[in-house]
Amino acid sequence: MWSGNFKTAIGNLRANKGRSMLTMMGIIIGVSSVVTVVSLGEGLKHQVTGQINQLGSNVITIRSGKLVGNGSGIGGLNLLAFLSTSTLTDQDVQAITKLSSVNSVVPIDFVGSSAGSDKRQLDNIFVVGTSSKMADLLHQKVAYGSFFESDDSTNKVVIGSSIAEELLDELNPVGHSVKISGATFVVQGVLAPSSGGLLSVAQTDFNSAVFMPLKNARSLTNGRTNILQILAKSNGDELDIAVNDISTALQKTHGGQTDFTVLKQYELLGIAGNIVNTITRFISGIAAISLLVGGIGIMDIMLVSVSERTREIGIRKAIGATNRQILNQFLIEGLALTLGGGVIGVIASLIINGVLRVYTSLQPAITLQIFIIAVGVSVAVGITFSVTPALKAARKNPIDALRNE
Amino acid sequence: MALIELQEVSKLYGFGDATVLALDEVILSVDKGEFVAVMGPSGSGKTTLMNVIGLLDRPTHGSYLLDGRNVARRRPNQQAKVRRDRIGFVFQSYNLLARLSVLENVALPLAYKGMTPVRRQKRASDILELVGLRDREYFMPRQLSGGQAQRVAIARALINKPSIIIADEPTGNLDSTDSKVVMELLADIHRQGNTILLVTHNPELTRYANRVIYMHDGMIVGDEQTAIGNMAKGARRTHFQRRKVTDDEIVEGVSALMRDVPGKELASKPKKKAKRGRPRTKKRPVGRPAGHRLKAGSRQRREKAKKR
Repeated sequence: MWSGNFKTAIGNLRANKGRSMLTMMGIIIGVSSVVTVVSLGEGLKHQVTGQINQLGSNVITIRSGKLVGNGSGIGGLNLLAFLSTSTLTDQDVQAITKLSSVNSVVPIDFVGSSAGSDKRQLDNIFVVGTSSKMADLLHQKVAYGSFFESDDSTNKVVIGSSIAEELLDELNPVGHSVKISGATFVVQGVLAPSSGGLLSVAQTDFNSAVFMPLKNARSLTNGRTNILQILAKSNGDELDIAVNDISTALQKTHGGQTDFTVLKQYELLGIAGNIVNTITRFISGIAAISLLVGGIGIMDIMLVSVSERTREIGIRKAIGATNRQILNQFLIEGLALTLGGGVIGVIASLIINGVLRVYTSLQPAITLQIFIIAVGVSVAVGITFSVTPALKAARKNPIDALRNE
Repeated sequence: MALIELQEVSKLYGFGDATVLALDEVILSVDKGEFVAVMGPSGSGKTTLMNVIGLLDRPTHGSYLLDGRNVARRRPNQQAKVRRDRIGFVFQSYNLLARLSVLENVALPLAYKGMTPVRRQKRASDILELVGLRDREYFMPRQLSGGQAQRVAIARALINKPSIIIADEPTGNLDSTDSKVVMELLADIHRQGNTILLVTHNPELTRYANRVIYMHDGMIVGDEQTAIGNMAKGARRTHFQRRKVTDDEIVEGVSALMRDVPGKELASKPKKKAKRGRPRTKKRPVGRPAGHRLKAGSRQRREKAKKR
């Protein structure tokens, strides 16, 4: 019965090919946009967690601003803290360095800047002011040359791999000079390409950043003295002790105030994941509206189909179809429409994902779960929006339906 | 026991002043194996009667026993099952589903019964053989001539071995050759012991029937046994009387209309009885074989008769 109904449904949809395709379009667009957004979010989460994991589990991040308890802000992180002036200073770095439970400390500060070479000019690059231990602490490999060894002011810089390609047109530009904010520097090393995505620990892409000692970076910005964030590595498995020690030490230097946040790796993971999840949910919510609109389109076309085929319903009832059987026939037809739309939508989103992977740095990840949800949702939409038309068909009085021309 | 037993079945349409009495306390019983032709002018209630008997329509009053069981008040789904298993319809406009092949059309009632595709197609094939259209199995309905389409419809009506076949002007859209083929097929089916109800305007077709019912204004006004092969007397009279009616007579109004009632003589018996004032339900025409009882007439009709 069901297979027969399905065959009939496909036949009926084929008979109105153009109309069926247009109706399916709504579902196709809805499903493909939801799947694309969700898979983008998944991919982003993978990238972020991958990068954070790369750092190792005993890395501690200290950020300015207080982590707001539960809920307020996104994932408990006060986003605006990034915009305000950081409260972390050199004293804090020194205080942390003195702690016995801490192995190494790296301050990180960003300066937005531009860079130029004799070949071309790049705006909007990041200058990262840091210490010589950064590469070690972040397990960042150096592809050519070496990372700078001293924290003193020098004219040496280390550049990210994309900068090397874009600015100097060379994979190995060690020894070339670059101009950053007017000052001339010599490239000492090039970092290996990192898997860095949009959201990394440092909230920037290491591939398109220039690294120099903190003091140098400061001289570019007229001597600003605060530090955006401090990374510290604990001794062995003394992670919790180190976190406590850092908190106590910083409270002392900050005059008893807790205007900073000490985060362990997995906490950072959680926050990053939360941010991505929230954004994904928000955007897929918007995309889901098109699914709703598609569903209403299905309902519309099903109602038209029912009134067009009133006579057919009458004939079917006259030869013994029960209300249930008529209901099933139209439900299955609506279901075939949405299921077809869902499958085509998933295929479309696969193509979109492929295009995104090739032409952008985004790495969408489609999981089986997303597939199942997409198909499940389209089936649910199909049933929901076909029930009314199908009921209308099933409840038709046979004699009135037969008289209908 | 009669196969079909209608007891004072009435059907009203509309409300208030616009109420139309389509069936007026019709009493009818049909035995198994009868070939009943139903005749009467347009709007006389023939089709309504067929719809009630075919369970497509519910009577407003009265009861309808099919094989001794009252089916008039059953739920729609149960009625659908009775239609599926016991009633076969043949319509004037064939009513085949355009998107299904001939074979699928014929097999459709079996599909609703839940039979497997292989079995129902085999069965449909056999039935199509019976109506001589085995070679048209995979044609679409639009590729068939009218006569072929109607034979397919008959095959579809037959497939569940129904108790009654209801044919509502099956030859209405056909030319005389196709009509003859279709009627011969129905006669054949009748010879095999099936019960057929045939609505027709064509008196010639009463030759195939062994009983003719005349309807007027929602009432059965005549009931005649005929030998198969002979045209019914009443039908012939209608046939000839009709030609005499002029436009002037028609505009005379109700009286003129009444003069044109077919089978007026036949309907006179109940009138006499009404005068005698016996309870109507116990009236029984004398001298008729059991199962061919005629119970025609109603209060309305009696009053009209008195006025005249």
